Amino acid sequence: MPTEPAPALPKNFLRPCLLLLLREEKAHGYDLLERVQALGFDGSDPGGLYRALRALEKEKLVWSAWEPSVNGPDRRTYEITRAGMEELHRNAKAIASGQETVARFLSRYQEFVALPRRARAARPSRDDAASVR
Amino acid sequence: MSELEALRVRDEVLQAMYWMNAEGLAERPAASELAGFLAVPAQTLGPFLLRFADEGYLDQKGGRFRLTEKGIELGKRSFADEFADLTRPTHGECDEDCWCHSSPEEAARCLEDRAHAH
Repeated sequence: MPTEPAPALPKNFLRPCLLLLLREEKAHGYDLLERVQALGFDGSDPGGLYRALRALEKEKLVWSAWEPSVNGPDRRTYEITRAGMEELHRNAKAIASGQETVARFLSRYQEFVALPRRARAARPSRDDAASVR
Repeated sequence: MSELEALRVRDEVLQAMYWMNAEGLAERPAASELAGFLAVPAQTLGPFLLRFADEGYLDQKGGRFRLTEKGIELGKRSFADEFADLTRPTHGECDEDCWCHSSPEEAARCLEDRAHAH
């Protein structure tokens, strides 16, 4: 059975999403993996999340520390830094600008799709032609 | 494999396995799962994992690997060491008027102003 294609997300969209989620509140990895699903990710790539968090931390956009756990190993908890918040705002601005471009594309696409429909509507149908005869 | 490369890969593998385990994602991953997690070819990672098992950092059973006590200790420590030079975020130091609490438009304007100020 054909399935719906995954929505097309901007390249590296995970980065601003993680920054946004960490702007909302500090979190550990599993929490982020769950919350990122509301932003269009399927949550099936914990490795991608791990690598993205490490890259963000190396760029000093996030910061992490061990959080002691009573039930198991200590977990890494992530927080956004001031540089991370600035990066988030830059990303949001770029995404907003991209959204305008996509809106223009869709508007022109819908015009192009509507043209044949309008042409068909303007052309008399066979029944109409037969009744004229 | 060079010794330096083996040390680098060891830290990377132990850190990733510690993180996966702590997050409850996988306690005993297969080599292919670890390779996918780290985005490296499984055939490249395989010999390293066997070596780390020989060295006592990993316990291997049925093609799956688990951190030993020694592996847990080093994985956790090397993770902390790798990011030790990073200081705590300054966000907690913001006052109530900080731009980051304002609207996105205010924040963007503030960001531009500060960029031009430098």
